[in-house]
Amino acid sequence: MVDATFDLALDSQARGESLRFALRRLAIYAFLAVFALIYLLPLFVVVANSFRELPEITQNGLIALPHSFSLKAWPQAWAHYCVAGTCEGVKRNFFNSLYMTIPATILSTLIGAMNGYVLSKWRFPGSETLFVCIVLGVFMPGQIALLPWAYILGALHLSNSVYGLILVHVIQGLSFTTLFCRNYYVNIPDDLIKAARIDGAGFWRIFVKIILPLSPPILIVTVIWQFTGIWNEFLFGVVFTGGTQQPITAALVALATSQMNAHPYDVASAAVMIGAVPPLLIYLFGGKYFVRGLTQGAIK
Amino acid sequence: MLTIKAALTGVFAFTAATTAALAEPKTNLLNQWSEGSDAAAIAKLGEMFTAAGGKWEQTSIAGHTANTLAKLRADVVAGSAPPAVQLKGPEIAEWNETGKTANIDQIATAEGWDKVVAPDLLPVMKPTGHWVAAPMNIHRINWIWGSTKAMEQAGIEGLPKTWAEFNADCDEAIAAHLICISHFSQDWTDATTFEVVVYGIDQSLFKKAFVEGDTAAMRSPEMIKAFEQYRLMVSKYMDPGIAGRDYDSATAMIAKGQAVFMIMGDWQVGIFTAAGLKQGTDYQCGQAPTDWGKPGFILNSDSVVFFTQTDPDYVEGQKLLAHLIMSPQFQTVFNQAKGSIPARLDIDLKDFNPCQQQSQKDLQASIADGMLVRSMAHNMTILQKYRGAILDTVTSFVNNPKMTAEEAANAMADAVDAQK
Amino acid sequence: MRLNVAMSNGLSPNESIHAKASLREKLGAWVPGLAIAPGAVASLIYVFGFTLWTLYISMSNSTMLPTYKFVGLKPYFDLWSNQRWKIAYGNLFYFSAFYVVLSLAVGLALAIAIDQRVRGEAVWRTIFLYPLAVSFVVTGVVWSWLYSPDAGIEFLVRSLGWHGFTFRLTTNRDTAIYAIIATGIWQSSGFAMALFLAGLRSVDPDLVKAAQIDGAGPARIYRKVILPSIGPIFVAVVVVLLQFAIKTFDLVVALTRGGPGIATTFPANYVYDLMFQRGEIAVGAAAAIMMLAALAVVLVPYALWTVWRSRREAAHG
Repeated sequence: MVDATFDLALDSQARGESLRFALRRLAIYAFLAVFALIYLLPLFVVVANSFRELPEITQNGLIALPHSFSLKAWPQAWAHYCVAGTCEGVKRNFFNSLYMTIPATILSTLIGAMNGYVLSKWRFPGSETLFVCIVLGVFMPGQIALLPWAYILGALHLSNSVYGLILVHVIQGLSFTTLFCRNYYVNIPDDLIKAARIDGAGFWRIFVKIILPLSPPILIVTVIWQFTGIWNEFLFGVVFTGGTQQPITAALVALATSQMNAHPYDVASAAVMIGAVPPLLIYLFGGKYFVRGLTQGAIK
Repeated sequence: MLTIKAALTGVFAFTAATTAALAEPKTNLLNQWSEGSDAAAIAKLGEMFTAAGGKWEQTSIAGHTANTLAKLRADVVAGSAPPAVQLKGPEIAEWNETGKTANIDQIATAEGWDKVVAPDLLPVMKPTGHWVAAPMNIHRINWIWGSTKAMEQAGIEGLPKTWAEFNADCDEAIAAHLICISHFSQDWTDATTFEVVVYGIDQSLFKKAFVEGDTAAMRSPEMIKAFEQYRLMVSKYMDPGIAGRDYDSATAMIAKGQAVFMIMGDWQVGIFTAAGLKQGTDYQCGQAPTDWGKPGFILNSDSVVFFTQTDPDYVEGQKLLAHLIMSPQFQTVFNQAKGSIPARLDIDLKDFNPCQQQSQKDLQASIADGMLVRSMAHNMTILQKYRGAILDTVTSFVNNPKMTAEEAANAMADAVDAQK
Repeated sequence: MRLNVAMSNGLSPNESIHAKASLREKLGAWVPGLAIAPGAVASLIYVFGFTLWTLYISMSNSTMLPTYKFVGLKPYFDLWSNQRWKIAYGNLFYFSAFYVVLSLAVGLALAIAIDQRVRGEAVWRTIFLYPLAVSFVVTGVVWSWLYSPDAGIEFLVRSLGWHGFTFRLTTNRDTAIYAIIATGIWQSSGFAMALFLAGLRSVDPDLVKAAQIDGAGPARIYRKVILPSIGPIFVAVVVVLLQFAIKTFDLVVALTRGGPGIATTFPANYVYDLMFQRGEIAVGAAAAIMMLAALAVVLVPYALWTVWRSRREAAHG
């Protein structure tokens, strides 16, 4: 945003300017670096502790330069540690979370895209109100929704099943996905749609041939948001599944909040990393598209 | 025609009878022991269940008890109550009132439970006269633990027997630059220590205020005295770091000899053992101080409650599970590692830790003397809504140095009255 | 074929074409409605059905399980006579104000800094965004380790030689809530940053050039030109931050367990405790309705303001 004029460096005023410029750059980088350190500190602690031996952690504290190195926390956390009912580590919980999160993310994204399409391009009396009503769902705290969902899942015979949990996450996710998609689709020129209709294209044809090809930025935003939210959710994941279907968040809470036993800091750190890898990977690779999707008018 | 009809009826009857006889016991135990030694203990129960021919499943919910109770409520509301749930205390009576609990009188009378279970537990397991729960253990809350190393350093001979001795010992500890009480502040630990103080000062005060929930007793001068003793302990004998500390740091303080005493229930034995400490050389156990000189016992008991099922396999599983839980084999194996003692009084504790053996002796003595009480802090007496109000007040008192004993006593009584 | 049918019904070719078109149009007009109907109905049941059920339960005699006998406002009186509820409700407003405003500020500052054509933008962006990928439970647990005086930051600084250093946010009744606020900001300001960065990038460059030609310095350009034009983004960020704020639960459980004492208890935690631990479903439902009411305090004025503003624009335009 600031233009530099290096060819005037001989001029004293310009020299002053380029000094100020350099100082400003330094200040910006320093500011970013300080914040980056604060942001990275927890990550460093968790990664480091997953490679340290437990007695050394207890002795030297949680944030210390590692004085020991051991890989054994990782296979323990993945396949051997006794947690959440079995002595098989968090492996099963990890896959339970995958089986639950992926379908829920895909479904809520697609339905949200379609909702956004209808509410932005096929307006009808009350569509704005309907949009606001759907979006209000983002504010619903889970504790309120728990018992009503229990009733509904019970009536549908889906309680204690991963399908029930997927249904819950899809419907709750619709509030977000509709919000993102509708605000994005509003920016697609109506003329495109009009032209297509004159050419004889119907509702679905327009959706598939015009809207979806333009959607990748916002779909990525929605997928990232939904995947992260559903993967990291604890309460419903624990209450609406049973026995061996519990998601990874249940195992993480068990490891991290053991009330009457010593904290297994090393195994807990490894398990946290294992649990955080899918969303982190998604943010790592999708982060660029995340901002781009938002740039292209996802918000209004 | 008749012959065919008779034959068909006979076939149906035979099939029904065989199905009942062939019902494979299966169960799904909902519990909150999701990690560590607790989980290992439940795994043992599962092994026994499988060895007896049953199909074992369990759902262990991590985190706060509320999570387990949330799942229980959601399952009940959805119409699929779990066959067995880890519940305790007055909650057993409350769930019994909803009419959803299952009656296990058949197996209880067949095995003679009424004769071997501690008498104070009977009204808890049989809220309306019928057995609906099987007790797994008996925990003793009123223990005091001493760090051998720190006691030597402070020149303290044995564990204090009265509160006056306790205060004197603590003054010696402070003179030796040690922390007297190792404590970590959470609502249940603050309440545990406080109920031990109240019980030790006046057992009938404990009965009135914490077992019967009498708010006049909560406002009484005796209760104010108890709060004053507690204020002395918190402000002078504990260190400022109690609010952020976690359980293992508190245990470490005893292990390393930085603190002299710890007031905690008998599961501390399991924790010391897991940390590699030995009774006698590293730590000592004794009855928490009482001003009335006799053996006393504050009781806590984990139990499994059964909910009515339609599937005959689950019904069979409940009978098998109840039988196993009360079996001497399970009661021995389960309690040895945890530090508690069996809920059955007729089991020989010869392989148990000396603290556990003492616990059983004191249990029987206090039953005989009428000094036994159930724990309020661990949810064995009053309803959760009253207990919650008391816990909120006590933990506020611990963390707010400006709250006086009188204010605390009245606040506690007011909070309980507000729930009535 | 339809044309033939129409014609055989006695219509002229032109009329038949119109008939065919309007029939298809009529049928076609239903499709969007049908497509959105299942999702919309489910959403409406979720938003309004659940809320109305909770409202009814908050005036019922429910304790251990939901029961439906109407008792009026008694649960609300029970609720407000609770010291812990009053603290929790106050904490919600206090926390939300600091959390939203500071997350906005930090996010905006980071976005402006990155927007200055810094090198390695992808790296900076990932560093600030990654906390959002982590669950609130894990965040709370790891930060509780850091805040712990026995093994966390205070221990570290002391072991580096500075023996009098104290950093005990979570163990002090008066400062514990700041620990929760700070951790919340750590988690969410990356999202604010991403949205602001997107907005800054989409500012009309002509406006900026015009201001530069007029001799405005960078600070002035930001204040007068750029920030006003990304107004809508503030709204989007506030919406997302607000819904995080109202749902604050896992963070409290992991960081302070509502303590020291009951100093940092939050409404969501108390609702959960009432409904599931203490078997007081009606009072818990009343608390839940109060949470939604707190939200309405913010949303309703905003909705009214939007309506007023669009009416004003319509009148002027």
